[in-house]
Amino acid sequence: MDSTLLVLGALALSSAAVTVAGFAEDLESDVGSQSNPNSQVQLAPQMGNIHRYYNKAISGEPVSYGLYVAVAGTVAWTLMNMGVNILLALVLGAAIGAFVHGVYTVSAYFGRIVGQSKSFGQPVYLDVVITHLGPIVGHGFIAIFCMLLAAYLATTMLGNPFPLPLIALIFGITVGAIGSSTGDVHYGAEREYQKYPFGGGVPVANQGDIDIKAEVGIRNGMDSSYFCSKLGGPLTGLTFGLIVFLDGWRGLVGTLLGNVIQGDVIVKSIIAIVVGVIIVAITACLNRLVEVYARKKYGPYTNR
Amino acid sequence: MDFSALLIPFVEITLAGAIINASVHFVPVGGAPAAMATSTGIGTGTTQLAAGAGFTGLMAAATIAAQSGVDIFNPLHWAIILLSGAVGSMIMLGLTMLMGQLIYVFGVGVVPAADKCERDPITGDYQKPYITPGTTGHGVPTVCFISGLIGAALGGIGGALAYVALIQLGFSPEIAGTIAVGFFFMNAVLASYNIGGTIEGFHDPKFKKIPNGIIASFVASLLTGAIVVLMSLGI
Repeated sequence: MDSTLLVLGALALSSAAVTVAGFAEDLESDVGSQSNPNSQVQLAPQMGNIHRYYNKAISGEPVSYGLYVAVAGTVAWTLMNMGVNILLALVLGAAIGAFVHGVYTVSAYFGRIVGQSKSFGQPVYLDVVITHLGPIVGHGFIAIFCMLLAAYLATTMLGNPFPLPLIALIFGITVGAIGSSTGDVHYGAEREYQKYPFGGGVPVANQGDIDIKAEVGIRNGMDSSYFCSKLGGPLTGLTFGLIVFLDGWRGLVGTLLGNVIQGDVIVKSIIAIVVGVIIVAITACLNRLVEVYARKKYGPYTNR
Repeated sequence: MDFSALLIPFVEITLAGAIINASVHFVPVGGAPAAMATSTGIGTGTTQLAAGAGFTGLMAAATIAAQSGVDIFNPLHWAIILLSGAVGSMIMLGLTMLMGQLIYVFGVGVVPAADKCERDPITGDYQKPYITPGTTGHGVPTVCFISGLIGAALGGIGGALAYVALIQLGFSPEIAGTIAVGFFFMNAVLASYNIGGTIEGFHDPKFKKIPNGIIASFVASLLTGAIVVLMSLGI
């Protein structure tokens, strides 16, 4: 079979895997309330809002996901070198990564909530820990496994010279950076403050005054993942998937067009760079279009 | 190994550190407040976003450098590797900013607006009337987007330059990649200390502090460069 076709197939599979990884990562951080919006969950008891959100800002999302995926990648890499079946090694690696995630999840919740119990009366809800642990570790496992699969494809099919654990670390850091930049905004700026009218950021005076009531009953982390799965999660996955796909696709276009004009590797690389610059220019134009749309649709504030 | 074979990578590593530090100052990060649409920029930390973009560029550069027929000592090939790193980083940050913008506009319902300028220096749009009272802007207006792209390009070039220097010193791609990741983090953290939280981009008054950051990274990278050169000699 044509090697270019195989690379394209590997790239498509890799992009699909990281799309799922991005989606799962964002929803996991919504269930567990990690990343920057966690500051509001942490602040809420001080503002008199006793809540049943999970609270686990272990560290910044990129660093924590970098750790889990690197642990998983290291275990998988070791098992592969011991002769274990590749798919089994990836699953076992992801399972160990998910276990590490679970350990930090539990210790972070108790550490953060107990710290607030005495001063602000925030109870430690054991049922919150038990019910949320499964979805957090489950989503984490999906995210870790998909990134490991993409990292494996990068080492074997896509010409990346780095070892599996290092690519896993880089993918973990990247997914954390994307998740906290995109999907978590939907959770922090909208879901946590749904009682305020739609449209407008959260003024400093309102910070910590998060919603503690759900559509039915008292809100918990899983209600947030349901809401964020409609926009924040899919866009996070789409972002990561597009980054991996377009970055690889420009290289493939360079190779194909370079073959047509019988150019060497440098000509192919220059074509790939030009295609990349065009992609970046398109993102800048789309960003401007969205900005202009928002200015026209929402307009300026008139009642200051 | 002759002296110039050590000196050139040493100079490259030192410059790479200064470039990485400068790059972080361009990236519009609003930190935790931006995640609540309380301040302009992307809702994450400076170091982490710059690292995410820089590492994507590093992988793009490493993939080009690993292709057969590429000679890292050839100036043209060297420039192609650096540019490839820059474009990889720009794609990552461009798409992340665009998708973040979609969530700000359609998921949160805010108008992208910068707080640190009356009018967007690129589009000329007035910013203040669109800022929610009680916040310091929100979203990623055009000036922040362009500043972010410049930062991503510099970050990709810096990461790729450090990687190429390490390969030139004789390290394997695996070791060079690992050292480059650590080196990138070191300089990004130094820049983050210099910024002190959030920055909107090159139009932000905090951007004027950039010389301090570059000097700090220059000194730190000088020391790191000396250590990796000694490592390459087996000392």
